[in-house]
Amino acid sequence: MLPDYALLFIVLGPGLAALIAGLFQKYITDSGAMVLTTGTVGLAGILSVVQLFMFAFGGGVTEAVHTAGPADGEHGSAAVASIQHIITLLPWIDVGQFQADWAIRVDALSIVMMAVITGVSGLVHLYSWGYMSEDPHRARFFSYLSLFTFAMLMLVTADNFIQLFFGWEGVGLASYLLIGFWYHNKAPNDAAIKAFVTNRVGDFGLALGIMAVFVVFGSVEFEPVLSAIKENATVTPLALAGAAPIQELVIPFLAWDVPALEIIGVLLFIGAMGKSAQFFLHVWLPDAMEGPTPVSALIHAATMVTAGVYLVCLVSPIYEYAPWAAGMVTIIGAVTALYAATVGMAQNDIKRVIAYSTCSQLGYMFFAAGIGAYQAAMFHLFTHAFFKALLFLGAGSVIHGMHHEQDMRRMGGVAKYMPLTYAAMMIGTIAIIGLGLPHTQLGFAGFFSKDAILETAFAATENGITFAQVAFWFGILAALLTSFYSWRLIYMTFHGPREDSMPADVHEADSHADDHLAHDDHGHDHHHGDPHESPLVMLIPLGLLSLGAIFAGLIFYGSFVGHDQGQFWAGAIYTTADNHLLEEKYNVPEWVFWAPLFVTVTGFLIATFTYLFNRGFGRKIAESGGPLHSLFANKWYFDEIYNATIIAGSRWLGGFFWKTGDKRIIDGLGPDGITSLVRWVSRRQSAMHTGYLYHYAFVIIGAALVFGAVIFWRVGGAG
Amino acid sequence: MGNFPILSAVIFLPLAGAVLIMLVRAMTGSQENDVATGNKALTAGLIFSVATFLASLVMLASFDMDAEGYQLVEEVSWFANVQYKLGIDGMSLMLILLTTLLTPLSLIASFGSVKERLTEYTIAFLVLETFMIGVFCALDLVVFYVFFEAGLIPMFIIIGVWGGADRIYASYKFFLYTLLGSLFMLAAVVFMYLQAGTSDITQLETFAFAPEVQTWLWLAFFASFAVKLPMWPVHTWLPDAHVQAPTAGSVILAGVLLKMGGYGFLRFSLPMFPDASQFFQPMMFALSVIAIVYASLVAWRQTDMKKLIAYSSVAHMGFVTLGIFSFTEVGVQGAIFQMISHGLISGALFLIVGVVYDRMHTREIAAYGGLVHKMPVYAAIFMLFSMANVGLPGTSGFVGEILTMTGAFQASTWAAAGAALGVIFSAVYMLTLYRRTVFGQVTNPALEGIKDVSVKELITLVPLLIGTLLLGVVPNLVFDVTRESSLRALQMITGG
Repeated sequence: MLPDYALLFIVLGPGLAALIAGLFQKYITDSGAMVLTTGTVGLAGILSVVQLFMFAFGGGVTEAVHTAGPADGEHGSAAVASIQHIITLLPWIDVGQFQADWAIRVDALSIVMMAVITGVSGLVHLYSWGYMSEDPHRARFFSYLSLFTFAMLMLVTADNFIQLFFGWEGVGLASYLLIGFWYHNKAPNDAAIKAFVTNRVGDFGLALGIMAVFVVFGSVEFEPVLSAIKENATVTPLALAGAAPIQELVIPFLAWDVPALEIIGVLLFIGAMGKSAQFFLHVWLPDAMEGPTPVSALIHAATMVTAGVYLVCLVSPIYEYAPWAAGMVTIIGAVTALYAATVGMAQNDIKRVIAYSTCSQLGYMFFAAGIGAYQAAMFHLFTHAFFKALLFLGAGSVIHGMHHEQDMRRMGGVAKYMPLTYAAMMIGTIAIIGLGLPHTQLGFAGFFSKDAILETAFAATENGITFAQVAFWFGILAALLTSFYSWRLIYMTFHGPREDSMPADVHEADSHADDHLAHDDHGHDHHHGDPHESPLVMLIPLGLLSLGAIFAGLIFYGSFVGHDQGQFWAGAIYTTADNHLLEEKYNVPEWVFWAPLFVTVTGFLIATFTYLFNRGFGRKIAESGGPLHSLFANKWYFDEIYNATIIAGSRWLGGFFWKTGDKRIIDGLGPDGITSLVRWVSRRQSAMHTGYLYHYAFVIIGAALVFGAVIFWRVGGAG
Repeated sequence: MGNFPILSAVIFLPLAGAVLIMLVRAMTGSQENDVATGNKALTAGLIFSVATFLASLVMLASFDMDAEGYQLVEEVSWFANVQYKLGIDGMSLMLILLTTLLTPLSLIASFGSVKERLTEYTIAFLVLETFMIGVFCALDLVVFYVFFEAGLIPMFIIIGVWGGADRIYASYKFFLYTLLGSLFMLAAVVFMYLQAGTSDITQLETFAFAPEVQTWLWLAFFASFAVKLPMWPVHTWLPDAHVQAPTAGSVILAGVLLKMGGYGFLRFSLPMFPDASQFFQPMMFALSVIAIVYASLVAWRQTDMKKLIAYSSVAHMGFVTLGIFSFTEVGVQGAIFQMISHGLISGALFLIVGVVYDRMHTREIAAYGGLVHKMPVYAAIFMLFSMANVGLPGTSGFVGEILTMTGAFQASTWAAAGAALGVIFSAVYMLTLYRRTVFGQVTNPALEGIKDVSVKELITLVPLLIGTLLLGVVPNLVFDVTRESSLRALQMITGG
């Protein structure tokens, strides 16, 4: 682990940079803000990545601070003492047993997350130098990016649920601000509010979950709560129920009596569903693509949306002893994986395809965590960060090169103009579909992590874990669709004839006035519609992410899910003594190893046939508008259903409470009713009225006071 | 500090200022309403209110956080068994500080904003400040009642004289509701005095009223505090009062006057009528949750900025009663904190509305849009307070909400879950308001020349901004002060 000052720099540095860039943008100018934020986050990124390598391979364990955590000898599985290091910064909330500090807590999970967050964020900062070069509000943009980075780091280094919630909502704020970055337009504003509010629905669950944790354990700090669960300690809830061993404790919640760990698990997961755009609460993520593309890469692909997965892994002891809550995680994850893949097949906006792909991949992570393979979930989170950020930034490069065109139907043949971007997108695609040869080390990052998930899911099926079988088959099917929509994207965008049938003025309307800034470097005339390759500051991040998308799986397989995993995670992830999924995944039947490869190739072949060799075919399907295609293209009508029920219902209720509740009933019977009565009386006695209401006020209060005083006087005198 | 009556000094300093202004006016004989004279009066009033603020800081400095019970007590025989008795504990100290902070800020906001009868306006505010501080210092029931009711008058006048077009209706409604509550309370005060033979609050706290008597007394006090707070369904005076009140009036109304309701529950209902408080807990939870959900939904549908924030206040005060009646340390501490926090945030939001109202003379949301292009600093400050209002962690809004809900969770998961819905709805109405006024394109041509916040406006907003963030990050600044008083109130209700 890094020394304290380095950890402090990594976490707080981006926050400080954001503050300076935001508050003093007038004085330090756009370039100053860009250099400051990019430099800070970039350095934090380098430090964090070094820390990850040290931790995984460099004997970081010997340097690390060993907290005298309870050895889980009794439960067997983790023989390694848990390693974590906590720097307490400042007490935050200190009310009775409700104790929360501002702290930086570093363990294996947060080391992984820190590397992902600052690494991708640093590259996205750099990339934005090119992508946002024509934007007049760059200082604000970079300030928000760094603010996001800070909030996300606070989330993963929290040592209590409250700071986690701070980071959780902080990234939500940054996400809201960045989705709505182009605030003069309607769509980004709508999308920003939708994202924030949908996340708040999740936070409703998360907040209640945290309250339940506090009431049951009398603490909101991770260490005492998670230790109590691991040891099955007897806890005495502050209310609701009497003392009992935590794994057997039942508490009342609303109308039900439920096991405490189950209800806590479910409530926390509702929070995760919002943040990680899982089925039912996924509706905000595709709309979030209204934000600038670097934002989509950082927040809505690599980092923020994975916070839910991180949460579930962080509290792994809860889900280990809450089979029903874990089953909910599994089924929601599995359904999301498949659902989002179906929708992704029928989208035409290049960013929305990738957004649904993200949604789908998050589903994989969740069902892995749900069945108990937290390590595999974290592994996929890790590799996914590279190839999904790569895909988004590659898409951004295309959009930039195509002068803000995002509709794939108007693309085609771009490979010729943007060979490096094309190469990067190919690497990303091969990584996401998980292409690789079983039993060998040949494969890109996604191969290692996705296959680990599918293999553990099969092993879980054999152990009879709830919904594991559904998850496995949905995962296989989603892998087929993933391959299909990923290749469809490549073919529609980069291959075939150049389909620039758009009138030139449409491009112009989208372009900013100072568009030429970005394009002069290449000697392009921006009035001309030809795509062009992106500048070097955008290509460097693509290159580095490509390296990650190729090698991250190979390098870290052993540490995350292989034979070294127990030592690597060092107690940060807890599994029960009878959870051997990571060993059992080596012993699944032979066909399970080959099934992902088979469906991936199948998907590739279908896409190649329909979108490369026979380009009209895909369009014909879309135009014929079959029911299945309509269902997919319209995202299963989720938005329509929500608008017609929840949103319309709340609006109606608001209006009803206001017009009928307040005005007619309360005011009508109350003050207004009395007014009419008084008017009626006063018409007879109008002579006494002076017309100034405050005269009455004085008279009435004066009389009341005198009256009261007289009574006191007399009573007092008598007594 | 020896025996210097610091509480009386703080209470009557503003009144002294008011008297001085009146005397000067009488001596110069100027009955004219020219702006120059008015501004001088306002400046004088500002000086007095700042002096009061500084004096209240002295109070804070001489306060012992670890001591139990009341401090800085002053006692003078008034009449009969009634004492002019003052004293403070942690929660009253925090509310006094809130009062003495908000009053000068409101006066600053009035420069250039209020144009008529500035001298009388200043006097009304100074008198009001005296009454408000008095309420939080009173340790005698009669003294409390006098201050509590007297505070009505200046606020009533502020709305009725310097208010908007419909000010008569609004002030009438305000008056009718509050008076109704007050009469019940007066009857209860008299009755308590007859029963206990004293109106000393410290003695009444230990006096055991019979349970059936408690119920009636509790209800009488409830009538008054529920209206003040306001709780559903006696909240409808608040939106009208806010809409008609001048900006500074709204700041004080939302910032301080509403808190008297919450303060009353903690100072009287819990310690003096513990059995009745326990008995009415379910009702209080129900009313709190209804207030949160109902008012939030109504706020969403408003077309007037001030009305929206007024309904938002109703919802946020719901968290206060929720926390108080959880009878837990977390809930009560959270409720007190929520009162302070709401004072800062809602005060700031009304100032924020005032900024554009002064320029455009309309509060219609539809008249705005795209302000961010013309007023970037304004947009940033507005964003920050919007986020504070939706309870974003890192702002003071979060701490109060999470603690009151956690407290409620211990008593009723229904109440906690219902209140948590407010977390969703607050985001809906606040972000919608922000988006309609600040984001988007400038469509109203009248907005073309609108100017960003002035230095004067920054002076009013920045202290609140600092307070909101500081208390969001270091809420212990408040908790350390209020801890003993919260524990004491709880001790009395749990019969310890």
